[in-house]
Amino acid sequence: MSSAEEKVEYHRLVEEEVLAGMRKPRKAYWAALSGCVGLAALGAVLWGYQIKKGMGVEGINNPVGWGSYITNFVFWVGIAHSGTLISAVLFLFRAKFRSAFNRSAEAMTVFAVMTAGLFPLIHLGRVWHAYWLFPYPNQRLLWVNFRSPLMWDVFAVSTYFTISAVFFYVGMIPDLAIAKRFETGLRKRLYSALSLGWVGSFRQWKHYTRLYLFLAAFATPLVVSVHSIVSWDFAMSILPGWHTTIFAPYFVAGAIFSGTAMVITLVVPMRKLLHLERFITVDHFESIAKILLFTSLLVTYSYVVESGLAAYSGSVYEKGTFLYRMTGDYKYLYWGMLFCNSIVPLTLLVKRLRRNLVFLFGLSIFVNIGMWLERFVIIVTSMARDFDPYAWGVYKPRLIEAGIALASFGFFFAAFLLFTKAFPVVAVTELKEVADE
Amino acid sequence: MTERYSFDTKDAFLEKLDELVRSGVPRGSINTFTPYPVHEAEELLDRSESPVRFFTGAGAVAGCVAGFAFTIYTVLSWPLVTGGKEIVSVNAFIVIAYELMILVGGLSAFAGFLFLTRLPVFRNILSDSVEFSRKFEITVESEERR
Repeated sequence: MSSAEEKVEYHRLVEEEVLAGMRKPRKAYWAALSGCVGLAALGAVLWGYQIKKGMGVEGINNPVGWGSYITNFVFWVGIAHSGTLISAVLFLFRAKFRSAFNRSAEAMTVFAVMTAGLFPLIHLGRVWHAYWLFPYPNQRLLWVNFRSPLMWDVFAVSTYFTISAVFFYVGMIPDLAIAKRFETGLRKRLYSALSLGWVGSFRQWKHYTRLYLFLAAFATPLVVSVHSIVSWDFAMSILPGWHTTIFAPYFVAGAIFSGTAMVITLVVPMRKLLHLERFITVDHFESIAKILLFTSLLVTYSYVVESGLAAYSGSVYEKGTFLYRMTGDYKYLYWGMLFCNSIVPLTLLVKRLRRNLVFLFGLSIFVNIGMWLERFVIIVTSMARDFDPYAWGVYKPRLIEAGIALASFGFFFAAFLLFTKAFPVVAVTELKEVADE
Repeated sequence: MTERYSFDTKDAFLEKLDELVRSGVPRGSINTFTPYPVHEAEELLDRSESPVRFFTGAGAVAGCVAGFAFTIYTVLSWPLVTGGKEIVSVNAFIVIAYELMILVGGLSAFAGFLFLTRLPVFRNILSDSVEFSRKFEITVESEERR
């Protein structure tokens, strides 16, 4: 921005145009929201049916005890990661393009962790005993097993959700103080309370900037640690295909890859529907596309190393598991995964395609599908063929599992749609700061 | 009495702030209201580090210590060998301590921020008397008022 008038005008435009997105929704919005809520409600009904009838209504059984539910859990936790990367890591690296995406990405993180958190509960079967997962003083003085990676997961995911939610909220406080000026009645009261009485005074900004920095610094190691811990759910076992040291970095790279794709899936239509073209530009999308390309290469590298480790392991079981993945009952899913995650993203080497939003949106759908397949292939193929051929078996998800998986998308998109009307979807304060620099 | 200066741009605001500080107005009597954090104002008015870091550090240390103390206490209170691991499996407990360090550190940083800024303030919360977000403002409190 050059002249003072231009800066003042830009400040006004950022506020008015971003907050215009929070106005009364149109019919298309209600239709989309109803569809998503309906899908989520269907999932609740199916879950209710499963609770009533028991776990036998699902396809999971011996030898595949972890099926689509755990696949969905790992998938959604992975989706969450890119939100933290875009928000916290890019903040620490002072990447300015983050201000266009960070709010949506943070919201995505919170909703994705919420969605992920449902799946261990669904998978538990007797969900009313879910509190047994938490260490609490009880009559028999029994404690949870802190040596178990599943218990690490409880702590990692709960911490991740709490810190992500605090980070999301703290980043929004100054914008909520702006939003209250544009509202009346109950909404004004709500935003006033949520903004805590923020006035942008010297003391408030001084402590706020440090708080934001510390939260970003805490969230950054969480990007690495949470999906590493999720990967240890598998890698700490001795099962061929799971028991490998590459799992932690492999899962983290995959998580950021899938989350970046989901950010594109969410922000491309949101930008169009809320008329945010001025603030979320094609340049911003190109930067995100570069992250997608880079993480795709990391994931492809992990696929190669993983197979190489098996080939050189000297273990007949390891080799057998990888051959089974490539040529066995799930071979189409394996090759589909490679196509979606390793081949299709290579098109992003072409600058023109990186800047084509329709193409990016389509590509992000491929990556989402590919990453879901990756988790399915990892989890199911290793369990379907372990050491003893007598115990081998094939798992096919039943309709109820497919319905609940689909419903999780309904739940996630419904939450995101509600967010777009309830809160400023772009960080107004940060956009102004970046523009004035 | 409070003097109030209002500006549309950061540059004009900083110019006036610099002038006030140079003219000998006590830094403690100056307050600013800005649409975003202006680091140059911090340089002029108060260069000290925010004590939020103490809250963060204390919370992180407390979380880490609590993580180790709690896991070790539970295994010692019912010493049951699982998976052939040692009763006090420090390697495994690092994960719990690490997560609690981040959790408690993050939450105490937020609590520290609320304490230091005296937020939330619900009195006159609906008032828009301070037009946050559009203007860069400086207020100077007179000696008598202080």
